[in-house]
Amino acid sequence: MIEPLKVLIVEDEALLAMELESLVEDAGHSVVGWATSLAEAREVVDSTRADIAFVDIHLTDGPTGVDVAEYIGNRKNAMVVFMTANPKRIPDHFAGAIGVIAKPYTMNGVTSALRYLQEGVRRPPPKSERPAGFTLSPAFETVWAPAT
Amino acid sequence: MEWKRTREPADAWHMTDDLHVEQGKGDPFAAAIRATRMSMIITDPRRQDNPIVFANDAFLRLTGYERHEIIGKNCRFLQGPKSDKAAIAQIRDAIAGENDLSVDILNYRKDGSTFWNALYISPVSNGKGELQFFFASQLDVSDRKRSEHRITADKDRFEKAVKERTAELEAALEAQTTLLHEVDHRVKNNLQMISSLILMQSRTINDENLKRSLGTMLERIEALSTVHRRLYQSKDVSKFDVSDFARDLVSDLLTASGRSEISPTLDLEPIVIPAEKATPVALMVNELVTNALKHAFKEGPDGTRSGRLGIKMSQPDGHLNIEVSDDGVGMADANADASFGMRLIKSLARQLRADIEWRDAGPGTRVVISMPNGPQHKGDPS
Ligand SMILES: Nc1ncnc2c1ncn2[C@@H]1O[C@H](COP(=O)(O)OP(=O)(O)OP(=O)(O)O)[C@@H](O)[C@H]1O
Ligand SMILES: [Mg+2]
Repeated sequence: MIEPLKVLIVEDEALLAMELESLVEDAGHSVVGWATSLAEAREVVDSTRADIAFVDIHLTDGPTGVDVAEYIGNRKNAMVVFMTANPKRIPDHFAGAIGVIAKPYTMNGVTSALRYLQEGVRRPPPKSERPAGFTLSPAFETVWAPAT
Repeated sequence: MEWKRTREPADAWHMTDDLHVEQGKGDPFAAAIRATRMSMIITDPRRQDNPIVFANDAFLRLTGYERHEIIGKNCRFLQGPKSDKAAIAQIRDAIAGENDLSVDILNYRKDGSTFWNALYISPVSNGKGELQFFFASQLDVSDRKRSEHRITADKDRFEKAVKERTAELEAALEAQTTLLHEVDHRVKNNLQMISSLILMQSRTINDENLKRSLGTMLERIEALSTVHRRLYQSKDVSKFDVSDFARDLVSDLLTASGRSEISPTLDLEPIVIPAEKATPVALMVNELVTNALKHAFKEGPDGTRSGRLGIKMSQPDGHLNIEVSDDGVGMADANADASFGMRLIKSLARQLRADIEWRDAGPGTRVVISMPNGPQHKGDPS
């Protein structure tokens, strides 16, 4: 049994955050915090340790998701996965994030992504196949999915 | 002596106006040059300031001067404030360098009016190679110049109009693209919310049948979500790659549903269909795949329901063929017409003008769909 993940949710839609929390918990992981803006995200990040942060690009204070990712990246206390309906807004360097789950995601898509991320975080590189709807950043592509 | 030597070639030409005019009278060449409608002059570079020594009547008509007003003068009286400085310099250089020259220059008549002069200058040497005269002809090309100017002006106006129109269209396109992205963003978020609502609702329900119904509904909505996600991920939102969709759908339905005992066989040519067919095709494939997963495979002695699931897509000449097959129990016992899934599949097939057939694959079921799909939608250009 691999140790479950501590997950941080940065998402402005309460409904989506709630549902994501259920999916995370159903898969045996735990949610350690929820933020809806850059300011809230900074607070949560400073006070909590997480393994994975799911970060939407559009938050209540605008398209600040990339800033959140950079903040988390500088603190080095979680790894970021973007979760957005707007993947084209993600910069080419992905602000250090592992990758992106494009919305609308499926329930199974998130569950598979969680398993894949759990393997990637605890015992990299992940064994499972990369789930549909999950795109790795160029940096993680070379480490987690090297071309054979 | 000196005077005699320099005058000799002028005599030879028999046609200067200030000298020996009468001698030229019998010369047919001189007569022709005097009478031609082409304006011509001759200047003498060996005299101070290269003066005109001969001008024919055509020159006088063109410029409006009397002969006595110009003989002995340098040609520069034809120039005026709007004459092109570069053209004047070219003439000066040609004369200094004893070269011939053809140039268009704006000249002035006696009355101050202007005309475009297609000037041709050429040096004339004697047998010893010594420069004797300059010969110059003038042609009034004002009409040609006017139309050249008009064409240039028209072209500039046209280019300006095109540039303005292009800028307008680009702005409109950008506004439309922004709007499209905004709408796309909202549609995706709303689809996500619908899925979330169904999931949350189904968590509160204890009735297993009801829960299953909601699960099926969620699968259908998620199939739509996947279509939408894929459609707007591509560059061209008017085309949809069905093979990529099928790959996503199968991996999505299998990997996380815990049905790892089912091995999918995917034989997918790259096939692109128009966006308006994306949703019905995707829904149909979703129904067939979920049916196979739900109904085909019976529980084995080990408690799992294993089996083989196959999807094949090909496009022989203008058709899209889709096959969804399993090696399960077959459809002999199915009460096909009663249920919603079957009705949905058949209605979608009608919408797509597709032929659909359930065949006994012994063991299992093979569903074969064939629909027209124009050759312009081929994903693979080969
Ligand atoms: N691949 C298959 N193998 C065996 N039986 C099948 C297969 N596909 C369909 N059936 C049978 O056909 C019936 C009708 O299918 P249909 O999709 O219409 O209904 P359903 O899947 O039971 O419910 P729903 O309306 O939610 O789809 C099924 O109940 C099942 O018995
Ligand atoms: Mg069905």
